[in-house]
Amino acid sequence: MRTKLAMMISILGLAVSGWGSPASAHHAFAAEFDANKPVNFKGTITKMEWTNPHSWLHVLVMQPDGTAVNWAIEAGTPNVLFRRGFTKETLAPGTEVVIDGYQAKDGSNRANGRDLTLPDGRQLFLGSSAGAPYELPTVGQ
Amino acid sequence: MSPLDFFGWLEDSSWSVGLHESRYAYPIIESVHVWAMAVFFGSVAMFDLRLLGLIMRKAPVPEVVGRLLPWTIAAFIVMVVTGTLLFFAIPLRSYQNIFFRGKMLLMLLAGLNVWIFHSRVYPKVPTADVAGAPPRAAKVAGVLSLALWTGIVFSGRMIAYNWFDCDRQPQPGIVNFLTSCVPDE
Repeated sequence: MRTKLAMMISILGLAVSGWGSPASAHHAFAAEFDANKPVNFKGTITKMEWTNPHSWLHVLVMQPDGTAVNWAIEAGTPNVLFRRGFTKETLAPGTEVVIDGYQAKDGSNRANGRDLTLPDGRQLFLGSSAGAPYELPTVGQ
Repeated sequence: MSPLDFFGWLEDSSWSVGLHESRYAYPIIESVHVWAMAVFFGSVAMFDLRLLGLIMRKAPVPEVVGRLLPWTIAAFIVMVVTGTLLFFAIPLRSYQNIFFRGKMLLMLLAGLNVWIFHSRVYPKVPTADVAGAPPRAAKVAGVLSLALWTGIVFSGRMIAYNWFDCDRQPQPGIVNFLTSCVPDE
């Protein structure tokens, strides 16, 4: 009986740890974005989606060859962004911003946002996903 | 009006947009959903383990039911209400999400398991002060319940991942079929 129960508990434990790990971090960074593909560019905000569970900032980026490319930048929830000092006006369409982040693993023009620098030089933290390199103590934030 | 039209219309409604963009409502609803899930899954797991004869063997099954079921039902109601609200905040994307669809299918099966258990199996579980393991059919129901609800929690968590979403093309034909997705090109 005791051994049966112990076995049952360890099976449950295995199931929980095995199935829980890929999903335990909220929308884990590593599942979507690549820490080895940092991006940095200046762009013009076209649209800001203040949505849960992640906000999305859309920017138009001028390429060196003169063409413009749309990028979608993932950011935190509306709640955390407001707490960090973002307002709807800070991210109004037409605003020129500098974005630091990490590109999506699939190579598409999506990135996990890290820092956003406003025209007046103010820097705000966009971060959203657990496990991103900016959360590691060695990198510092 | 097709389901896609309907959920698209719902997504554009001011209440849905308000919830999707809310500062407090969405995170609170999401947290309550998870709290209720802990109570629900906890009480279900205890009951299932009792059906398997692994825990609380000295307590007759009807007594265990009497103590746990009110918690299970209350938590389930809270989960359905909060879950509906979470869906309402992001209707079209959720409707087309492969994990959401899998979750609904598993919930249907779990509901069927509950229905069969309470209508066919439970009446045959001895009601007197009989301790120990219930009949085989009850054990089967317990194992099914544990497996299905574990799968439901897992697929619920996976809804957050957009790997198979309609706006991420190209996808294999089978994925687009399973998500009712008609790519633009």
